[in-house]
Amino acid sequence: MNAAVSRSDRPVFPGAEWWKAAVGVVVALTLWELTARAFTGSYLLAGPSEVIGYLAANGALMARALGVTLAEAALGFVYGNLAAIGLALLAFAVPRIERGIAALALLVFCLPLVATGPILRVLYGPGSGPQITLAAFAVYYTTLVPLLVGLRAAPATWLDMVRSYGRGRVTALFRIRVFAALPYLVAGLQIAAPAAFLGAMVGEFTGAERGMGVLAIHAMRSLDVPATWALATVAAAVSMFVYWVIGWLGRRLITGPPPVILAPPVPRRSADGPRRLAQTLGYLAVLTVLVLLAWAGLMELFGLDRFFAKRPDDIWAYLVGGDGAAEHRETLFAALGQTLVFTVPGYFAGLVLGVVAAAGIVLFPGTAAVALPIAIALRAVPIVTTAPLVILLLGRGALGMVALIAIMIFFPVLVACLQGLRQVPGHVNDVFDSYAASPRQRLVFAQFPAMLPAFFAAARMSVPAALLAATVVEWLATGTGIGSLMALTASTSDYNMLWSATFLVSLTACFAYAGVSWVERRFLDVYASEQLA
Amino acid sequence: MNRIHLSRRQLLATGVVGVAAALGLTSRRANALTAARMQLSWLHSVQFGGSYIAQDRGYWTDLGLDVALTPGGPNAPVEPPVISNQALVGISAADYTAAAISQGAPFRIIGVAMQRNPFAIASLPENPVNAPVDLVGKRIGMAIANTPVLQALCTLNDVDIGEIEIVPTQYSAAPLLAGQVDCLLSWATDLPVAMEIQGVRSVTMLMADHGYALHSQTYIATEDSLTNRRAELVALMAGEVRGWQDYRADTDAAAALTVERFPDAGLDFETQKLQARKQLPLMFSDLTEQHGFAWFTDDAVAANVQMLALLGQTVTPDLWDRSILEAVYDS
Repeated sequence: MNAAVSRSDRPVFPGAEWWKAAVGVVVALTLWELTARAFTGSYLLAGPSEVIGYLAANGALMARALGVTLAEAALGFVYGNLAAIGLALLAFAVPRIERGIAALALLVFCLPLVATGPILRVLYGPGSGPQITLAAFAVYYTTLVPLLVGLRAAPATWLDMVRSYGRGRVTALFRIRVFAALPYLVAGLQIAAPAAFLGAMVGEFTGAERGMGVLAIHAMRSLDVPATWALATVAAAVSMFVYWVIGWLGRRLITGPPPVILAPPVPRRSADGPRRLAQTLGYLAVLTVLVLLAWAGLMELFGLDRFFAKRPDDIWAYLVGGDGAAEHRETLFAALGQTLVFTVPGYFAGLVLGVVAAAGIVLFPGTAAVALPIAIALRAVPIVTTAPLVILLLGRGALGMVALIAIMIFFPVLVACLQGLRQVPGHVNDVFDSYAASPRQRLVFAQFPAMLPAFFAAARMSVPAALLAATVVEWLATGTGIGSLMALTASTSDYNMLWSATFLVSLTACFAYAGVSWVERRFLDVYASEQLA
Repeated sequence: MNRIHLSRRQLLATGVVGVAAALGLTSRRANALTAARMQLSWLHSVQFGGSYIAQDRGYWTDLGLDVALTPGGPNAPVEPPVISNQALVGISAADYTAAAISQGAPFRIIGVAMQRNPFAIASLPENPVNAPVDLVGKRIGMAIANTPVLQALCTLNDVDIGEIEIVPTQYSAAPLLAGQVDCLLSWATDLPVAMEIQGVRSVTMLMADHGYALHSQTYIATEDSLTNRRAELVALMAGEVRGWQDYRADTDAAAALTVERFPDAGLDFETQKLQARKQLPLMFSDLTEQHGFAWFTDDAVAANVQMLALLGQTVTPDLWDRSILEAVYDS
């Protein structure tokens, strides 16, 4: 897992970790089987033996469904990640628009399935268009955010050198930054692997003829527990395989330890504070106008009916200008309050879970063989499959809700942090080696500081993810808050409420994102000033 | 009895062809088929068996129509494709349509597949819900979006909804079997069927037996289509009528066709057969016996309007438009 650790700490038995990993997998499978047997009759969980039995009997059906969903996921993966890479490069080639790109990317990521589903289905008609698009939506953001961090993770001296040869930003981008960003890109792609699969499966909920998402719904409704968990197992296995292949490719591409990144501290600009504030406000105003124009313009361009594709002026009338606006606002804000009560602890629980799991894997590499598959499985399987179990164990109260949100968001944090922990420069590792420092000391004094840029990237991208996760959990388990208001659209056609809720969630995400960025700047100012340049 | 059915069906079928001939839609060779799409309200299953029969046996192509059937799903509302003219007809329900109307959608209900509402309360025999009053003190698992349905049932039967604990559940009867809830709000043709196939005995209380009179699996079209695509609507409904008459004659065949047509949907033949049978009494009644499949009377419409008022929705009888069915049958 970690080149530095295996080099220094475990020189004697290189095979020992494999052996431990194999034992871990066997233990995990046995536990799964035993738990499933304990739950027999509850129709909530099937064990490995039942899953294998189902797959043996229905191999052809599953293979066809896998073919469909995998193709959708693969296309979504490619389009989504290409979009992320393109946007990241554009942001560095034209630095003026970087914040605009980040903001638009955040807003698009905030769009809930209830709003995008019908629109995509109307735009594409029958077929796999919506599935592919939703898979792409599910991956682009978690690639873009780490990539923007990685493109900055280069020593200032290297960039100076490019400049001293009289070359500009574009040369620096393609000669230096792209290589610095590779480890971050690999992490982003690894995060994307299960997300694309999940996106495609959930995309099939928008009216698909076939695929694993379709099978999953039928299996759940017909109480076919072996089928439900066979689908989950296949989704998880495929995602794990892709995750592993990307990691393997990454290790082949990235040679040599990360460089020591020395960057000059960012000068404090308190003197021109008012001017900066005015600039920021101006930027925000331009951005807001652009977003509103894009929102209305795209809907007009595609001729989407106002019945389900609400424009900014519809939302204005609904929330501010029109009849009953005060009532609508009251309903919406009350719901938002209910949602945030779970979202905030769920968000922090997810972050902590991700960091702790990453640190655990670094300290005890043998646990990776069990922990990563579970983490990937939780990310690749629709939450409708796993939620009933979590609810059975933890209930529908605060604990269950927070756990469900954490489960839905911790995987990107884990992967980003694992990669971040590996960003300890070679020289620094050498110093720790020469003092025979313990793994714990190395973790605290070298790896955690090196992880900070990646961690904060994860903290930022988890903001919208946590909000969306909370709305899904509300639809699934509590029937309260914004998620419940959104779900009501299905039977009430109250698209005004849906788009108002979407608007409010997006706005909340923007504020929370700005808050996390503010904290991030305080930390990175000390530990990774190159990120603030 | 059976013989009468047969002859009446034949009569209806003849009428349908007659209408089509009158509309000049029958000459298959001369004219290219007109494409039309019908948006289903859920994933492919025998729930739409009659439509598959109509397609399979060429009842639509006989009438010059090439009908595509688009599946729905958990995140595939019916109204957007219909209002966008992607689908000529959508399968909805009276309460959904009334809500859409109140949001400004120009829909009309042009036919009613489920005369009796399919919503039911499913429970286990050791803790049964046989009547609405039994709901008091129970935990009910349901999609939150269906809260108005429960509210209406309670109002109709003088039950305080506050005495019932609503637990959000999705798609599955597992919460009932795992003891997380005491009963489920579901279609009678859905989770109870799944339980029966799994060998679990359950008690089903059909809400229609306790005053919940609301049309379901209704055919909706826009006012614009009713004006400008009338012939296609008549042909589409005529094909539906023939398809569902065949469905009624042999539900097992409908189930077999469904499973055969959608091999990738993971449908279980036994489940489909049972669902097909259970759906029958919801769709066919003395009323359809007298007037034909999908028919609705002014009385039924009045009852629905009253029911919708209970659900907090104000509609006029104009929401229902019988002219398409009249064109299908009155010839």
